[in-house]
Amino acid sequence: MIPSINTNNTGTLRILILMLFSLFLMYPASCGTVSANPNPEVISLQPIIDAANNGDSITLAPGTYLGPVHIDKRLTINGEGRATLLNSYPDAEVAVLISADDAKLKGLNIQQDNGGEAAAIRVEADQVTLEDLSIHTAGFGIVLREANDCVIANNKIRWFTPKGAASGTRGNGIDLYNSQGTNIRANEISYLRDGIYLENSRNTKVDQNRLYYLRYAIHCMYINGSSISNNIGEYNITGAMVMGVKDVVVSGNSFRKQSQNVHSQGILLYDVSTSSIVNNLVEGNRVGIYMQQSSDNTLQNNLVLRNYIGIQFEGAGGNQFQRNGFIANVIEAHATGSKNNQMNGNYWDSFEGLDITGDGISDLPYAINPFYQQLITKNAAYQLFFQSPGMTFLSDMYTNGKAQWSTDPTPLMQLQLDKATQGQASGGQGLVMLVGLLLLFVSVITIIYMGVLRL
Amino acid sequence: MADMLQVAHREIKMGFRNPWAYSFLALLCTFSLGLLLINSQNVVQGYSAVTGSMLSLILYLLPLMTLFLGSFSLTSEKEEGSWQLLSTYPIGTMSFILGKYTGLAVVLLIIVATGYGLMGMISGLIGMAFDSATYFLLLAFSAGLVLLFLTVALFIGSLSRNRWQALTVSVSVWFFTIIGWPTFLIAILGLMPYLWIKPLLVALTILNPAELVRLFVVIKLGGGSVLGPEYYQWVEWIGRSTGSLLFMLVCLAWILISILAVYRIWERGRSRG
Repeated sequence: MIPSINTNNTGTLRILILMLFSLFLMYPASCGTVSANPNPEVISLQPIIDAANNGDSITLAPGTYLGPVHIDKRLTINGEGRATLLNSYPDAEVAVLISADDAKLKGLNIQQDNGGEAAAIRVEADQVTLEDLSIHTAGFGIVLREANDCVIANNKIRWFTPKGAASGTRGNGIDLYNSQGTNIRANEISYLRDGIYLENSRNTKVDQNRLYYLRYAIHCMYINGSSISNNIGEYNITGAMVMGVKDVVVSGNSFRKQSQNVHSQGILLYDVSTSSIVNNLVEGNRVGIYMQQSSDNTLQNNLVLRNYIGIQFEGAGGNQFQRNGFIANVIEAHATGSKNNQMNGNYWDSFEGLDITGDGISDLPYAINPFYQQLITKNAAYQLFFQSPGMTFLSDMYTNGKAQWSTDPTPLMQLQLDKATQGQASGGQGLVMLVGLLLLFVSVITIIYMGVLRL
Repeated sequence: MADMLQVAHREIKMGFRNPWAYSFLALLCTFSLGLLLINSQNVVQGYSAVTGSMLSLILYLLPLMTLFLGSFSLTSEKEEGSWQLLSTYPIGTMSFILGKYTGLAVVLLIIVATGYGLMGMISGLIGMAFDSATYFLLLAFSAGLVLLFLTVALFIGSLSRNRWQALTVSVSVWFFTIIGWPTFLIAILGLMPYLWIKPLLVALTILNPAELVRLFVVIKLGGGSVLGPEYYQWVEWIGRSTGSLLFMLVCLAWILISILAVYRIWERGRSRG
């Protein structure tokens, strides 16, 4: 295990000597131990960094390195996926602190044993690149403070409880504050509090991340001009929680199976304006898209599938709401206090439209009945009646003030599905068929034996 | 015990020679297959519009069928005089009631099983994605509905003098428990102090077999979160395996108490001739 170093710089030679020396010191000790110990050699990383010069590129040999470290030079550190940085000093809040612009950290495994506010990586510099890292943290993952134009890509961040420690509070996977223009791409984050947390960070790009088992997959506020696109979130409490923003693009995301919590939803928009929410897929959530106090947004071509409540508007006005597809939701839409929305050309699968002119658009309007939502706003206890047959009956009778209901005057008769809505077939089909046959057989035999034959 | 089995056996035979049973069988099969074919493009899994509409269909049809078949069976005993005849034999009233209940339950469950059997088979044949856990839950839902409403049917049959009376009462009970339930409750509870509403609502829900079973299945299908934070602890509780046990105990208590009440009515009628 000899570290290889790019020898394009005179400083690298010194690093080589230093590392060889440290290896030499440790070798006899490890030689005597039995190989059962998986990490016999532990190298302190900070001296290697201290010995390097600005602009150096260090490739770490496979092995375990000890943190915490402070990168205060423009270095490129590459672990090639086989080097692990361990931080188990209880006093060290941060495993890797980066305070030099243009620093790059690649292919390193990082384990942060400290929980609470402790982070695996903290960046306080601009244009920093964090790539191909695999982070296990008991607290936060990657934290950016006043750090602009950074790139965070292809990292895996997950929460863990160190051996023998009580499980503490989860931190956020990627946490930005006052950091503009960051590109967060293709990361996989799971089991933490919020997957990607953005605050006061404008022009951030959040693209193609995969987010599972979190509180909020993407939680953002005051991030004007940012885009959240092509992310996948499953089994979180909420997929995207977007609050207090303008000019944000939320597109191509897929948020599924977020239904277990009483506050679960696919996409929540609160105080969002002049933003576009397009081409998203929300499937199997408690509420697909929840829009509160938001105005002048564009919601187009979203596919809302199999949610308990497809879309819910509360005090949301002046939005463009077009060509969205609603399929197999228990209740398609709720709307209260939401006026002046331009709603047209959506597809509502439970709506029986009538197309006389043959242009594929129903000549009967689709109106959202606000009765149930008004009822449960008065007293939440009535939520027990959700989709009870009697409740449907009562809602249908209620037509008070129908002119003021949120209405789609031109609902589509059919939806051309271009997204994969099929293929989620669950197993057990054979079992259902087998049990069906068995039940049918037993029933028919009983009926014949008891009823038909006069024994 | 032997008496009870005799009564039950006779009841099953009578049940399957009753054209009413077959007409309900046909109705159930037709509607469930219709629903299946309409939704054949969708995956039947968890709580969605597909399972929601299936629940509604079952809620409309099964209680009505149970109330009719159950109450008619008891009134016919009175109308045709077979109860007067049986009263002269050394047969206990409890054996009679339990036998009636068991026999009718078997008849109704066989009807339900036929419907589900057909549904399972057809869904397999047309290659539809039907999640097995959802299928079993719907089956259990239907069975629970039948067993609970059957006790209500016995009540109606005991208190009615003839079929026409039983028919009228059955339809009104059906309308009250299935269709009119939220309307009545919202109207009445609106007069109560705000803080009484939730506890009263919960208590009344336990008294309505249709709502009780429906909510249990919605929660078991994973849709408990739609009930909101008000019922968070309930939902979590019922979602666990002990929740199923509790539900079964509640159903059992329901059935036992009702059968005891029916027994008292018949015993009184018997002693007074």
